[in-house]
Amino acid sequence: MAEKIGKHIAIYGKGGIGKSTTTSNISAALAEAGYRVIQIGCDPKSDSTNTLRGNNYLPTVLDSLREGNKIHLDDISVKGFGGVLCIESGGPVPGVGCAGRGINAAVNLLQELNLFEEFKPDYVLYDVLGDVVCGGFAVPIRDGITDRAYVVSSSDFMALYAANNLFKAINKYAPTGGAKLGGVIANSMKPGYHREIVEDFVAKTGTSIAGYVNRSIDVQQSELYGKTVIEAKPNSAQADIYRNLAKHIAENENLVVPNPLGSSELRDWARNWGDRIYDIESGVVGVAEAI
Amino acid sequence: MADIIKNPRNGCALHGALQTVQEINGVVPVVHANAGCGVINYLANSKTTGGSARFSGYSIPGTAAQERHVIFGGASRLREQIKNTIKVVDGVLYVILNSCESAMVGDDVDAMTREIVEQHEPVVDTLIAGFNGGAHFGYEHVLADVFKSVYDVRLSETNKNSNLVNIFGIIPEKDPYWQGNIEEIKRILEGVGIKANVFFGVTGGIEDIDNAKNAALSIVFGRWGELPAKVLNEKFDIPVIQKAALPVNALEEKELIDEIGKVISLEQDVVDEFLNKELAYESNYYGRIRDEVIEHAIGKSVAIVGDEEQVIRLGRIAKDVFGAKIVAAILTDSLKKDEEHELNNDEVFASITSSVYKTSDQKDIDDIIRQSKAELVIGSSLEVNIANKAGIPLIEASYPIYHKSILNQSTSGVRGAVEFVSNYLTTVKQDEKEKTEELYNYLKQLKGQKTWQEHSSKRGQVKQLNLISELASKESI
Ligand SMILES: Nc1ncnc2c1ncn2[C@@H]1O[C@H](COP(=O)(O)OP(=O)(O)OP(=O)(O)O)[C@@H](O)[C@H]1O
Ligand code: SF4
Ligand SMILES: [Mg+2]
Repeated sequence: MAEKIGKHIAIYGKGGIGKSTTTSNISAALAEAGYRVIQIGCDPKSDSTNTLRGNNYLPTVLDSLREGNKIHLDDISVKGFGGVLCIESGGPVPGVGCAGRGINAAVNLLQELNLFEEFKPDYVLYDVLGDVVCGGFAVPIRDGITDRAYVVSSSDFMALYAANNLFKAINKYAPTGGAKLGGVIANSMKPGYHREIVEDFVAKTGTSIAGYVNRSIDVQQSELYGKTVIEAKPNSAQADIYRNLAKHIAENENLVVPNPLGSSELRDWARNWGDRIYDIESGVVGVAEAI
Repeated sequence: MADIIKNPRNGCALHGALQTVQEINGVVPVVHANAGCGVINYLANSKTTGGSARFSGYSIPGTAAQERHVIFGGASRLREQIKNTIKVVDGVLYVILNSCESAMVGDDVDAMTREIVEQHEPVVDTLIAGFNGGAHFGYEHVLADVFKSVYDVRLSETNKNSNLVNIFGIIPEKDPYWQGNIEEIKRILEGVGIKANVFFGVTGGIEDIDNAKNAALSIVFGRWGELPAKVLNEKFDIPVIQKAALPVNALEEKELIDEIGKVISLEQDVVDEFLNKELAYESNYYGRIRDEVIEHAIGKSVAIVGDEEQVIRLGRIAKDVFGAKIVAAILTDSLKKDEEHELNNDEVFASITSSVYKTSDQKDIDDIIRQSKAELVIGSSLEVNIANKAGIPLIEASYPIYHKSILNQSTSGVRGAVEFVSNYLTTVKQDEKEKTEELYNYLKQLKGQKTWQEHSSKRGQVKQLNLISELASKESI
């Protein structure tokens, strides 16, 4: 691949964990700071960039591919808040076809259309759906398309399980030029032991936390307006949280190949935490003592 | 790491299914696959078993799926293809064949088939994909799937025929002699008053599929064919007889007919008369070659390579007619690890050889032949190299065969066995002739140099004694 234009960052995480919300706010914050940003939604739902472009209609890359006409960048991209170039890969309707191959085809097509040469981005963010279920969903972290990935997770076991799966994929592809891990974005963090769980997980897997994002009503409210928090509530504390996260991601060069936990290791680790939480909730011990 | 298989000779399940369907007159295959799948089958078979009489490889109806059919699913492309095929290719039954691509993408082929059937078109499908198994597996499964649904989509008379028998196990295009073998088994059964449903080739067709449910019996030769026979048994209560291989002499024909006689009532004097003729035919020809067999010392050590049913059949001929010793039986059927069949041939092999191998890896096959010290190989064209290296003759009789044109010849039944025997003898004689000429030329070159005995002693593999007497009679020495 030719010299890459801009930093290419993939954002993964369990379904519904807050990937699109977080990615869009990072894009908005980077744009606000004066950078040229592209956000590519790699998800058949094609809702990744909704809050950047006020929920306006945007034809997806694969919709155009399906019609078989000659495709121009203008047809499949639109500028949203702060000039962020919004693109949605799109995909088949649920239950048919192969979404994984779709992502692959969409990313290839964008390269063929010279998207990066034309737009000259500083940052390109890929918002990739759900878990890494098959080779197709690993495309953004393979073959040098991105060189860094972040995973959004809460302290829930299933979210960390998905993160661990991503670590496995990175671990597999990194030696042959795939992306490395930038860190874990801890989202929807409630007070209490939740932080410790995520911190323990990153320590065990040789990774780090890129930032903590609180669960906040501002997020939901902005979403209802079709906007990011940066746009709708620029002066809120939540907006600053996203700005700090964006700054960290923009500057962070500490990329690692994670050490994913084996299946039984992960189960044991979770069970152990289950016992501790029970003790904490039932007031037997305090957080600090439990760790 | 997985091992590399050298020259695998079996296609995928889709290929087996395609070979099967395209050899049934009246039936049209519709291949739902990326463009190459059907063509590979054509390229593999057109040069070996003459290809299909009805379709050229490039003319087989297919969806030729492309990337967008992978991403968005290929079901609507399939719908379009079925409809167009029905419009332009005459057929009385259309069979949809699935490929790896459509199976991986998860196209709902069944739903498409149902939709077209609701419009009263005669369509059935099989959901096995290429990766589900080899060509043998494809043969079994496509027939089973056809029998499961054909009677619901195509009107056919239900009228039990106490004289009708279904024949399974001869895989079209996979046995190079499939057409002749089908004709031969049909001849034998007709000889004792039985009508045979053979399904394939010039003597078969869609009527045989329609009538299969009316048969009084199904006979499976070998292990491939158990499944369709089972389906017919479960649905229509048709009993099944299974034999390790097609018969190759009058005695085996008698055993087969006696077994059929337990299910179907046969006229004993017709049976006796037929079998007497078969025996007379066989005795006549084998009597003629008796002296030659001794003269050419044909009772050799033989290695046989081919599908199990063929190896058993050809091994029996080599052993019984020529007194050959079978030093290696190499079975090339594409068996999956967990493949389930009721047939157990251990006893059958015990009567033929103790050296049975299962592999279709050419490297293994060559090694086995080399180590067996065989003096003759019965196999496919893929054994040409090892036979040449070992300096032994090769009789090409199993798939694939590049150097012969096989149309209606057979290698089973009394007649096919006689044909095979003549083939065998010819090969041995020609090999002797070539070796004699080789030595003769060699000796000619040496005239005037050291004593020729000194040189000829170096050529250990040549039978010197025979040659010395033969050469002495030639003037030039
Ligand atoms: N920090 C937060 N505080 C409050 N609500 C949040 C937060 N993060 C995300 N949400 C809400 O959670 C919901 C899911 O978020 P989002 O769509 O970003 O998830 P996702 O990971 O992209 O989901 P999918 O896998 O379906 O694409 C949204 O309604 C969003 O507003
Ligand atoms: S194995 Fe699959 S891809 Fe290959 S020819 Fe067979 S059906 Fe096609
Ligand atoms: Mg999303």
